[in-house]
Order: sequence, then C-alpha cells, then structure tokens
Amino acid sequence: MKNMLYAGVAAVALSASAASAAGHLVFTPGEGDFNWASYEALKKTQIKGEQVTVFGPWLGPDQKLVESVLAYFAEATGADVKYTGSDSFEQQIVIDAEAGSAPNVAVFPQPGLAADMAKRGFLSPLGQDTANWVRDNYAAGQSWVDLGSYANPQGKKDLYGFFFKVDVKSLVWYSPENFADAGYEIPKTMEDLKSLTEQIVADGGTPWCIGLGSGGATGWPATDWVEDMMLRTQPPEVYDQWVTNEIPFTDPRVVDAIDEFGWFARNDKYVAGGSAAVASTDFRDSPKGLFTSPPQCYMHRQASFIPAFFPEGTVVGQDADFFYFPSYADKNLGNPVLGAGTLFAITNDSPGARALIEFLKSPIAHEVWMAQQGFLTPFKGVNTSLYANDTLRGLGDILLGATTFRFDGSDLMPGAVGAGSFWTGMVDYAGGKPAEAVAAEIQASWDAIK
Amino acid sequence: MENIAGTKSSLSWAVHISVAALVLIWLFPTVGLFVSSFRTADQIATSGWWKAAFPSEQNLTLRTDPPSTQVQKGGQWVIEGNLFGDKRGATISVYGTSSREISTYKAGETGKFRNGATITVQPNGDYVASSDTKWKGGRGPRVFVTAVTPPEFTLRNYQMVLFDPANREGMARAFFNTLTVTIPATVIPILVAAFAAYALAWMDFPGRALLVAAVVGLLVVPLQLALIPLLSLHNDIGIGKGYLGVWLAHTGFGLPLAIYLLRNYMVGLPRDIIENARVDGATEFQIFTKIILPLSFPALASFAIFQFLWTWNDLLVALVFLIDSTGETTVMTKQIVELLGTRGGNWEILATSAFVSIAVPLMVFFAMQKYLVRGLLAGSVK
Repeated sequence: MKNMLYAGVAAVALSASAASAAGHLVFTPGEGDFNWASYEALKKTQIKGEQVTVFGPWLGPDQKLVESVLAYFAEATGADVKYTGSDSFEQQIVIDAEAGSAPNVAVFPQPGLAADMAKRGFLSPLGQDTANWVRDNYAAGQSWVDLGSYANPQGKKDLYGFFFKVDVKSLVWYSPENFADAGYEIPKTMEDLKSLTEQIVADGGTPWCIGLGSGGATGWPATDWVEDMMLRTQPPEVYDQWVTNEIPFTDPRVVDAIDEFGWFARNDKYVAGGSAAVASTDFRDSPKGLFTSPPQCYMHRQASFIPAFFPEGTVVGQDADFFYFPSYADKNLGNPVLGAGTLFAITNDSPGARALIEFLKSPIAHEVWMAQQGFLTPFKGVNTSLYANDTLRGLGDILLGATTFRFDGSDLMPGAVGAGSFWTGMVDYAGGKPAEAVAAEIQASWDAIK
Repeated sequence: MENIAGTKSSLSWAVHISVAALVLIWLFPTVGLFVSSFRTADQIATSGWWKAAFPSEQNLTLRTDPPSTQVQKGGQWVIEGNLFGDKRGATISVYGTSSREISTYKAGETGKFRNGATITVQPNGDYVASSDTKWKGGRGPRVFVTAVTPPEFTLRNYQMVLFDPANREGMARAFFNTLTVTIPATVIPILVAAFAAYALAWMDFPGRALLVAAVVGLLVVPLQLALIPLLSLHNDIGIGKGYLGVWLAHTGFGLPLAIYLLRNYMVGLPRDIIENARVDGATEFQIFTKIILPLSFPALASFAIFQFLWTWNDLLVALVFLIDSTGETTVMTKQIVELLGTRGGNWEILATSAFVSIAVPLMVFFAMQKYLVRGLLAGSVK
C-alpha cells in the first residue's frame, strides 16, 4: 500500500515537474513592443539547472502572474525557478531564516520586516552597482534606494531590497455612470472633494464607502487615510519625521491629520451604513457598495489593487474608474502620492539569486507583468504603451508624475506600531474615541519599544 | 420488573427535544457552509445563506443590448430584447432608468432616459427601447429593476476547486502529499505509544510514576514553542524540510496524548488475565502482542481517528517542517489557502474547499466511529 502511494506521489511529482519544464511564455519572444533585446541579453548568463527558490506573499491569480514573469528568467538562463507563496509570509520567512532553511530570494510585502531581517543578518547586500542602477533608472530613484537600504548587524547601511511591483494608494474609485446620473464632476482639489461630499448628502445620497475590517489586520485602511491626509496637510519632511517618530504621534499636526480622516469617516451621513459600520465592514466588501442599486455610496478611497474585489463582471474603465485623491489648493504642497511596494531581497545567496536580481533590472521583467494586470513600476526604461489598459497606464502616470512620493508610513514604522497599535488605534478612533486619546495610546506603545 | 429497568421516563420527550436542539446547533454552521459552497461570491456578499432557498426580491442593475443591435423602425432607433438575457425566470415589479431613481416606473409602463429616449420594460424582462437619434457607445444604457428572482445554485465552485485545469494538478498532488504525511504520522505514534503505554501500565520498574507524570506534563506544552528549535535541529542533523521531518514532528507532538490515552485504557484491563499469562510463562512481548493489543483495539482506533484528523487538518506543522521553498511538497490545507488569493476573502472557495477536504476524514470517521465512543471512555469507566 505504501509503495503504491509512493509510486503515486512520484508519478504526480514527475508529471508536475514535466509540466513546469515545458514552460509556456505568455508573450512569444520577438513579438510585440516588448524590449526583447533585454531578454536576449539575459541569455549570456547561463546557470543551467541551478535551482533558484523564491518565496513571497502572492497567491492565487497573483501567483500565476509572478510565475509567468519568472518563466522568462528560467527560459533565458536555464535556471530552475520555483516560486511559493504564503498568506503568512511574515511569520514563515522568519521561521525559515532562523532555522536556516531560507529560500534564495524572498519577496517582502513591506520594508519594515526586511529592515528587521537585515539587522539580524539574514539578508545579503545587493551591492553598490544595484544601488546606482535603482537611483538612475527609477522615478524618484533615491527614495527607492533609501527605502531598500538597511543597517546590518554591525550597523553598516547597505542596499538590501530591490523594489519590484508598486501600488499607488492615493486613489478614489467611483462609478462614472453614477456620477453622470447625478451630474457630479470629478473634484480637482480637496476643497472640491469636501464640497462634493456635502453636495451628495444634500442630494440624499451617501458619499463614501469606508471599511476597515481585515481579520487580524483590521484598521489598516484607516492608516492609509491618515497618511494621505498627513501628506496633504504637512510638507513631506514632517511626514518623514512622523514616520521615524522624531515628532510624536501626539503632535497637533498628526492629531489634525487623524481628524481630517474623521471628517469623512465619523459623520453618519458621509459613510454608507453610518460611522458605526466603518470598523466592522470588511475592506474587501466595502467597494461593492459603489455598484449596488441604488448605490450605497459614490466614492471609495483605496489602493490600486482594489478592482480585484469589485463584483464579478465589473469593467474597470467603464463600470468603475478612479481619480487622484486630490490635495488642498490653498496649501501649496504639490501632488503628493502615497504608495506601497514589494521588494526582492536575497535570503540565501547563490549565483542564481544574483542572476534573478539582474533579471529584475531588465525592462522585460517589468513589461511582461505590466502587459497583464495589476502591476505598476517606477522604472523609467519600460514602454508604458504596454500597460494592459488605460486605467493601469493612468495609475502608472500618477506614479511617474508624482511631485512627492512617500511610502506607506505604517509599513515603515516598527511592527508593534505600524502593524499593531496604529491599526487598533484607528479602529478605536472610528468607534468614537477622541483623536488625542488615540494618538497618546499609539505614542505610548511606541515609547514602550524604544 | 417493568418498573425497575428499561422504563421510559416521563421526561423522555424533554431529552429528545434537547438532543434534537443540540444536534441542530452543532449542524448549523456546517449547513451554512454547505449552502454557501453552492453560491457565487456576489450572492454570498449580498444575502445570507438562509435566504438562498427562497425567491428573493433584489435590486438589479441590468443593461439593454449594445447599440450595435439597434434597428431603424418608422423613424425611431429601436433596441429590443430581454434584460435578463438567457437567465430568465425573474419577475420585475418596478424599474427606473437612473441610479438615483430606481423605482419610478411600474413594469409595463414606459420610462424615459435622461437623453429623452424611452423604454418599456415588461415584467418578464422583455423591453423595447427607442430613440429619435441613433444609440451611441459600446454598451447599452443601464436599467435598474426590482425583481423577484428564483433561487439559484451553482456547481462552479466545485468545478473550480476540483477540475479547473489551473488547480487540478496542484490539488491532486496536494491530496497525495497529504496522505503521505498523514498515514505514517498516524501509524508511527500509535506503534510507539502502544509499547510505551504497556510498559507504563503493566511493567514494574523504578520511576514509572514519575514517567507517567512527565507524560501528563508534556500534554500541556504548546507545540508552537518547539517549532524553531526543532527545525534547526532537523537542519543540523541533515533531515531538513521533508516528509521524514514532518513525520517525526507529528509523532513527537502526538505521543503524549497517545501514551496517556492508551496507558489509561490498558491499566483498566483485568489484572487476572495478565497474571495468568505470566504464570503460564508468557514473555512480556507475548503478553503485549497476544493479549493487550487485541483488547486495546477500541482505544487504538479512537486515537488513530484523532491523530488522523489532526494531521489531515494541520497547516502549521506542515508549513514549518514540510513545505520547502520548492513548493513540491504542498498539502491540502496549504493548497486551499493558496486558492483564497493574496488578500483572501474568497468565501465561496473557502466553503467549497472545506467540503472537499473533509471528504476523507468523514470516510475515516464513519468507517471507525463505532470504536470512537468506546475509545473515548478509555480508562474512565471500570
């Protein structure tokens, strides 16, 4: 019986590896406007048969996409690339690294954890060449280098993380047809957005859908709101100081930004279901209110990934569209953009891992994903006409045209704050607790880990 | 005699009702999950599963056929068709032509669009839309209807989980991998525990009571404590991540309860039989294999069921000790988590996968359940 089982397992495993070895490329090399020269150049690195393991947070459709990109690396260099995803990436990478069975390359969903791993000596530096490359080739290059540079156990700072795949967060999603039915215009300034909000209420509608629910991470959508508000009420330098806690959470400027979010979220008339529903609505269900009949709400502020949670059959660009979450006209702070991104880091050094990082520097790695879905890149060397649709291209333009780009602050704060007390604090705030009290609690938790 | 034993208590109806109520309460979530597994994601998001079996009144946003189907009739540009397309069966009561006024017109009445075009919608969804000017755009205008729709169920979720070409291979592999993990991870601890339990129950040696106490103490040690140290140990001695590692881990984590359960059962076996055997010259090993093992079968079976269910449902131990970064050795639980996508929230997949993955444990349970109750009472009743 057991022998039969093994035989069965072996047969299944064999057929599986045979299937992946056949490696289908989504776009045939040589066809279309892709940068095939960069693909051909990859063939100079031959690491035939070497196994490169990649571990990341992407699952389901995202996993298919990243595998389709890695297939080009495998095809060009002959490497045997294996991607595995996990929904508990943050915990598992730590376990694997601690126990010494880390993958070659890990894809971190946020810099905070990568910085932590670098400090404990689990990451290998990418080298000065890569740092120079990012500085020269990414829009706002220096900020990407800074975000990927951490101190090692000896305190020496190096580039450890290579950013690949970026999300834009400063977006408001809406239904163009509902706006047309009601005769609303897309607001160009924060003042307009606020008056539109009041206008919708006066017309008997509900302007916003806001949902903070996300299982164990409940509260994170509100941190994005506060960060966006911070960038719209204060200069970016103040934002940076806030993220590193040079100015405390209890600073009036931070409390003001929290209250700016409260202006939208704590008014029963402004939010679908009333302000009490904000904390209990799941962020994945929240955007569905845009598409109900009659519409539960007209606008939804969320990052560029959210179309994955629109109801089945929703066509982005027709049924749903986005506009830039505008800035105050009278504050003169330019057009700040809040974003997030995933970064590749080497957790188990090998020639194959190095070759994979080199591959990420070639335009083709970005273009293959761009031409499918859900991928934005700050890489200036790609052909933006390859974006799969106008919506993605529009998002990409926001990224390339940002006067100020800032990374999601909660991802940069220490885990206990950025993935802990900030989240829970915002849930309390949405539930009616005063901003000062919430800020004091978050600051206390930050002081506690200093 | 009738009054002594076996008479029905006058309160037996109360017992029956409470049993029925308890069964219902226990089944309630499972039934919900089962019903949800036949519904689409949008249905799950919009209405509760308990409403699934009844016709429901819904506000729907529908579209007429695209302008490319329009024909010219007597100076008017006309689009005709049925709002529901191929999925008929709903009955429209009222409708509207703007998202702000979704119930302006009764079915059968003629309504107006913002641009002056008109539309007449019948209760069954048939419509005639006509305009003085040519219809433009790629898609037909929206019509908002309030309709009573018949219940609808779908097998698509099961198709997606079991037969979708993208998942099928992974699912089949995960199924065999899971069996490869669970069967040895059930058999090994039982083998070890049966010997240990016999020794602790019937062999006299110094420190036996202390050993039993240590085993009981180990019952309360959370396995999470041991994850990282154990994995580094596996790496140091060269096992790494793999089947051998996960078998050992499951064995270790399962042994305290196994020994405890089996020892308590074996202690309860009649002393006379064992002593008779000793007098007749049986060795300890003969006593164990010829007498103790056959008599302990219910306890062994019930522990086997427990251990099988645990290892089958386990994700944590598999993630730590088995699934390496090549992803070749995935198990069912991991495969299901992957189906949920990066940000989760696919309830329909979750519900369906739950039923797919409990199929094997259910079979094991029904095949061995007659031993379960006897085994559960192991050691508690003499």
